[in-house]
Amino acid sequence: MAVSLNSYLIVSAILFSIGVIGVLVRRNPLVIFMSIELMLNAVNLTFMAFANALGSVDGWVFVFISLTVAAAEVVVGLAIIVAIFRTRKEIDIDEMNTLKG
Amino acid sequence: MSANILAFSAVAALAIASGIGVIAFRNAIYSALSLIVNLLSLALFYLILNGMFIAAAQVLIYAGAIMVLFLFVVTMLSSDKAELQTSDRISWQRLVGVIAGIIFAAAASFLLLVHAQIAPDAAAQGSNNLFTQISAPGSGNTEAFGMALFHGFLFPFEVTSAIIVAAILGAVVLGRRSRAKSED
Repeated sequence: MAVSLNSYLIVSAILFSIGVIGVLVRRNPLVIFMSIELMLNAVNLTFMAFANALGSVDGWVFVFISLTVAAAEVVVGLAIIVAIFRTRKEIDIDEMNTLKG
Repeated sequence: MSANILAFSAVAALAIASGIGVIAFRNAIYSALSLIVNLLSLALFYLILNGMFIAAAQVLIYAGAIMVLFLFVVTMLSSDKAELQTSDRISWQRLVGVIAGIIFAAAASFLLLVHAQIAPDAAAQGSNNLFTQISAPGSGNTEAFGMALFHGFLFPFEVTSAIIVAAILGAVVLGRRSRAKSED
């Protein structure tokens, strides 16, 4: 007996919610960034589960492209975090409430 | 209990436990390490779902490239003290955040359980024709993926290269500006 599509979707929903909780609760921008990665990967799991259920590889293409976009996003996001840390000398998301340098 | 369900349950438990670890650890390095475990368990999911190529790409790109970048930045900023020393500006933030997340998970799971048959029905009614089909048994899914990527999805694939160039330029610009600022 194979694992049903819904099992994958529920695991994916749980992982996405863990990411949501991380973004809402944590104040370290690096951990918030990791939670965003968690959410991206939960959505990727949904794509893969649907691709398998529909017998198609189109979902793979979306996962592949979202992997690429995630890599680009991480590069720019970490560069921004490092730039903020260099100018502000602090790394608490509650303190980053102004756009002034 | 078949081997499929056993493998799924083990990987699901690993994925959820490491996911909770990402947001629960105080030290950002432990968070990054459990994120690596999470990404590897997702690669195992992809293997269970017959996605060999995507599983390999997941390990190479995420666990290999992205997490190395994360660990570099985490060790460079060594930010494990900051969150312990300062208190929350909004005292109820943690409680409300957890409650909101649990409500979200419950809502998503409930919707999945209620609309349990939507996707298989759509598949059964022949809407499969909309999608690129897996090629004949024996030739492998990766071949079908290559055909889909370089025929139907060639333009999005090319656009991702522009995104990567933009990201590289952005990283260079951001890094150089902050260095010039710290010199003066």
